[in-house]
Amino acid sequence: MGGVEDDGPPSKRVKVSSGALGGLSKGTSHREQASCSLSDLMAQPLASQGKDEVVGSKGVVKKVELVRIIAEALYSLGYKNTGAHLEEESGITLQSSVVNLFMQQILDGKWDDSVATLHKIGLMDEAIIKLASFVILEQKFFELLDGEKVMDALKTLRTEIAPLCINNDRVRELSSYIVFPSQNVLDISSDKEARLKSRKKLLEELQKLLPSTVIIPERRLVHLVEQALDLQRDACRFHNSSVGEMSLFTDHQCGKDKIPSQTLQILKEHSDEVWFLQFSHNGKYLASSSSDCLVIIWEVKLDGRVSLKHRLPGHQKPVSYISWSPDDAQLLTCGVEEAMRRWDVTSGECLYIYEKSGLGFISCGWAPDGKRIFSGVTDKSISMWDLDGREVECWKGQRTTRISDLGITRDGKQLITVCKETTILLFGWESQSEKLIEEGQNIVSFALSEDSKFLLVSLLNQEIHLWNIEGAIKLVAKFKGHKHSRFVLKSCFGGLDQAFIASGSEDSQVYIWHRISGELVFTLSGHSGAVNCVSWNPTNPHMLASASDDHTIRIWGINRVSLDHDDRHSNGIHYCNGGT
Amino acid sequence: MDVDPRQWENIDVNDKDIHNIVLSYLVHNCFKDTMESFVSCAGIEQPADHLEDMEKRKRIFHSALDGDALKAIELTEEFTPDLLENNKDLHFDLLSLHFAKLICLRKCTEALGFAQLKLTPFGTMQKYVEKIEDFMSLLAYEEPEKSPMFHLLSLEYRQRVADNLNREILAHANLPRYSAAERLIQQATVVRQSLNQEFGKDGNQLFSLKDFLER
Repeated sequence: MGGVEDDGPPSKRVKVSSGALGGLSKGTSHREQASCSLSDLMAQPLASQGKDEVVGSKGVVKKVELVRIIAEALYSLGYKNTGAHLEEESGITLQSSVVNLFMQQILDGKWDDSVATLHKIGLMDEAIIKLASFVILEQKFFELLDGEKVMDALKTLRTEIAPLCINNDRVRELSSYIVFPSQNVLDISSDKEARLKSRKKLLEELQKLLPSTVIIPERRLVHLVEQALDLQRDACRFHNSSVGEMSLFTDHQCGKDKIPSQTLQILKEHSDEVWFLQFSHNGKYLASSSSDCLVIIWEVKLDGRVSLKHRLPGHQKPVSYISWSPDDAQLLTCGVEEAMRRWDVTSGECLYIYEKSGLGFISCGWAPDGKRIFSGVTDKSISMWDLDGREVECWKGQRTTRISDLGITRDGKQLITVCKETTILLFGWESQSEKLIEEGQNIVSFALSEDSKFLLVSLLNQEIHLWNIEGAIKLVAKFKGHKHSRFVLKSCFGGLDQAFIASGSEDSQVYIWHRISGELVFTLSGHSGAVNCVSWNPTNPHMLASASDDHTIRIWGINRVSLDHDDRHSNGIHYCNGGT
Repeated sequence: MDVDPRQWENIDVNDKDIHNIVLSYLVHNCFKDTMESFVSCAGIEQPADHLEDMEKRKRIFHSALDGDALKAIELTEEFTPDLLENNKDLHFDLLSLHFAKLICLRKCTEALGFAQLKLTPFGTMQKYVEKIEDFMSLLAYEEPEKSPMFHLLSLEYRQRVADNLNREILAHANLPRYSAAERLIQQATVVRQSLNQEFGKDGNQLFSLKDFLER
């Protein structure tokens, strides 16, 4: 075919011949000419093989590599014939023959031969050859020990392993195995199968040690595909449902319909601004508190409807913070600079009132074992209490300000409070260690992620900051778009795998962002007053609750296809007034 | 009477004290002949009971120092039967000396056998496990003197073990573990440091043993 260059990339070749292909589809007499030239083209690849030939529109996928991992995938799947056929037809072998020999020698236990072959492979520097030799000889050593050939094992150690002069600590360990055989981790019996398994493991280890061009990692193609799927999932801004598997045929992209965006219920039990709410860990209850000094426990029924369970009167001041016990059987409430109360969820009874003479409580939280309680106090200290009301410990100093949030990490080791207007303290109460997060603006509230690795901080400059608090503290993301400059608003994590961030706003809307991309996904309107707090049901990614200055709580969910009789009349919104 | 530390040169020293210091040193190190000659020259009383014991102790000490640990153990058992039993650390150290000797002689098979028989029983206690591992690692090298644990084959190590053995035997006989001379030098070192700190530049008349001996 004129004009075709032999060493151009395949895609170019195909394009040029599209004229011929066009001839094919038209069924003209060009056909013969076209098919002849096509098969000519097809026959050519073998001859013009370049090591750097690429496939794909981006020019980053090397053809040789692609064919090799496809061949490996075929072998992994058990299609040996097809794999061999591919190697033959493409002229590209999966492993060079030296490497094949090497791998077979390992499986056969021909240690000395394999070490010799190792040197013949090439593409490696001395250090790697030594490391690989060490690992192979270790296996030889252990197999000899297992076969009770102690003197031979010792000889291997002395004359082959030690002279490599690497990893003296390991040499020391090996020599102790001679006298303390029970420590032998490998534990290969003379059972043939166990031995083969152990040798295969050795091969895996070698494959990790040697450059990947020498031995291709097993199931590499599948691994790459899984990577791509992960990326697609992360990029999916609305991914909030585990239903629906990912297909390899199209890029994954959820629609917006799985994110709670419809008001399903409006709860009107409070008589004043609703300040705080939170779902229990098991998602079966919702607790809310209001400036009317009342705390209410709501129950989430099986059909998703929320109804009143208990009213908890008793506080003399508005309750600014609520904490569910780890088993959700008890509730801790904290009045603003007042007392701290512990309630039984099932009966609604107040079990204990914690007071500290002359001082008030600011914040409260449960230890992960459910046996101790932490609280912030007006004198800026933090106290730890047991369930019988005894103050077990007290940490003084500037530990907390008047902000009511208190976080406790999952391992129970760190307490998180706002210790200065723009600083958050991560206090390891046993080790007395302190880590600080410095913000440039006034901090209003914060929320801890379920895995205790991230902290979401709401600031008065209309930004929400996401910090990584595991290991070195780092600012990870910022979320903007909502209105927050005067009130105490709280934000939260939520959705499937906590992939979303939700926050209230002074413009009466609920804002939802996709965590990884930082993109604002939804703004939900409906409330007629500032939205102070949001809580996402931890066990139901399709349920979100919001608390507002308009005295109501709204339950948000996804569009339900089937609505029952009542809904049709009231536009699908349930009003709940403490009873049906 | 409080003496100004800077006036130490004017303190009276009793001859008898010095005799005792020298004697204690000689007895501690089993210099029997020297001790006898010193006693007769200085015209002092000979410490009666210790002569024969000194001879035995001397043999034990030198066996250990030469690395002939098995002989040292045998003699010790003869001399003070339950000493090694009550002193596991020392017993282990002596056995390990024998192991070290076998290694030096390149008798690896024998060394391994000895270790399996004699050393591994100590392995029930964690503190010995690490020591055993240290010694076992010597087996891994064809030139153990160049291995990371080469110090276990050294004269210094044998010296330390022999010294320990000597001290334990002395203690067993209700004699002091450390000779008076040793204690004095230790004390003088500490005092010198402390005075240096207290008087600083003033104290250039402080006694320095090192300088004194180098004169």
